[in-house]
Amino acid sequence: MMTPEVFMLCVLAALLELDTTYAFQLTFSRGIIAAPLMSLLTGDLAAGIQVGVFTELIFADINPLGGILPPSAVVCSAVALALHALGIDLYFAFFFGVGGAILFSFAEKLMRKNRFKWLVFWEQKITQKPSAVNRTVALALATSFLMNFILIFIFTWICGKLMLWLLPYIPVKAQFACKFAYMAVPWIGLATLVPAFRLKTR
Amino acid sequence: MFLRSFFLQTGWNFMKFQNLGLTFVMMPFLKQLYKDDRDALPSVLQRYLENFNTQPVMASFCFGALAKQEEAVARAESLTKFKEKVTEWASIKKSLSITTASIGDRLFWGTLKPLTLLMALFIWLMLGVNFFEIDLPQNTSLVYAFCAGGAAFFAFNAVALFVKWQGLKISYNADESSCFGLTRFDWNKTIYNAKRIGIVLAVGMILFGIYHYLKDFEEVDVHFVTRAVIVLFFVMISFVTRKLRIPNMYLYLAAVVVFNLVCYL
Repeated sequence: MMTPEVFMLCVLAALLELDTTYAFQLTFSRGIIAAPLMSLLTGDLAAGIQVGVFTELIFADINPLGGILPPSAVVCSAVALALHALGIDLYFAFFFGVGGAILFSFAEKLMRKNRFKWLVFWEQKITQKPSAVNRTVALALATSFLMNFILIFIFTWICGKLMLWLLPYIPVKAQFACKFAYMAVPWIGLATLVPAFRLKTR
Repeated sequence: MFLRSFFLQTGWNFMKFQNLGLTFVMMPFLKQLYKDDRDALPSVLQRYLENFNTQPVMASFCFGALAKQEEAVARAESLTKFKEKVTEWASIKKSLSITTASIGDRLFWGTLKPLTLLMALFIWLMLGVNFFEIDLPQNTSLVYAFCAGGAAFFAFNAVALFVKWQGLKISYNADESSCFGLTRFDWNKTIYNAKRIGIVLAVGMILFGIYHYLKDFEEVDVHFVTRAVIVLFFVMISFVTRKLRIPNMYLYLAAVVVFNLVCYL
């Protein structure tokens, strides 16, 4: 079931996800940039644009302020595009994408809480030998990439298996309902952008 | 330091936030400053490994100011002076990180990100990519796929990298009276103007979307009314959920459940 394209997509998604927090923050991880990039692998650029725009709009109201961890746009786009590449309609794939992004943010929160335990050990190393900071940063990046990849790959694999098994049994009514909800996404997102620009400064 | 600042958030944790990143960014400077007194470095690093949290772009103002103050700490001639300078250093770190975080969150996450999103959406609509329709067009070209996202990417990063570079430079040369260079820019005015443009674009996008969504209908039939009701319903409900601080994604997930229930009733 896992085609080489889908596997590569998970690798690319894990790399792009690093841009969200751990490295660069050059906005490669934004939906409108990450999704078209990932769709180069699946070969469906139109799906990439649509998923990218919808992902950005649905998560437009949550920003990474302080300790707030927004759902990952990269994970949402990756799961949606991977499932779409496996033959699942985008309106179902996007639903799983959003679910995946929410679950990923919980997993990420857990990782950040637990990272402190080994960070205490590394802090001691750094104070003893300052050059250890480079190794610590490289290790933190590598483990983050690995965790991203494992989480994205497992979630996509489970959802793909589940959907391909369920697809023949899903009634037309449910498909119609999911399609309608999917159509509402740009409106939900755009309506929240207006209050986002409230002029409360000055 | 500039290149290393892109890794400020590596090792982000809920206890000390960006402490590892700050140490990584400052390390070449500290090594240079204490090259004749290597024994002092462990205690210096312990200070840098304490809590630190700010907005990653605006953090450059903290790096420059902390570097400047660290020089004063290293030059302290007596123990009393040293303690005084270290206390000053700690208070600069705390106050500047809070101030820059507040400005950066409002400017970059609260304003520039949604503004560049709207810019990309307008470019895509002008190129004929109608994302208000969920039926996918055939043969989308690479230019179509990347020009809008690319424009948003360059617009955001032009501002972010400029602030990052200038922040590092200005804050190192400025002093406390100008809040380490922060007062060189009128942040409030910039945010205010950007938000004014944003609100116009957001309202324009909704109107443009309504036009795109309904333009193919020649008469008011059941399909037209259904579409109009969906648009109106979700625009209204989004305003309500925003007030109640319910995230969009839950509204979408609720819509999936509600539409399924309606279809089966």
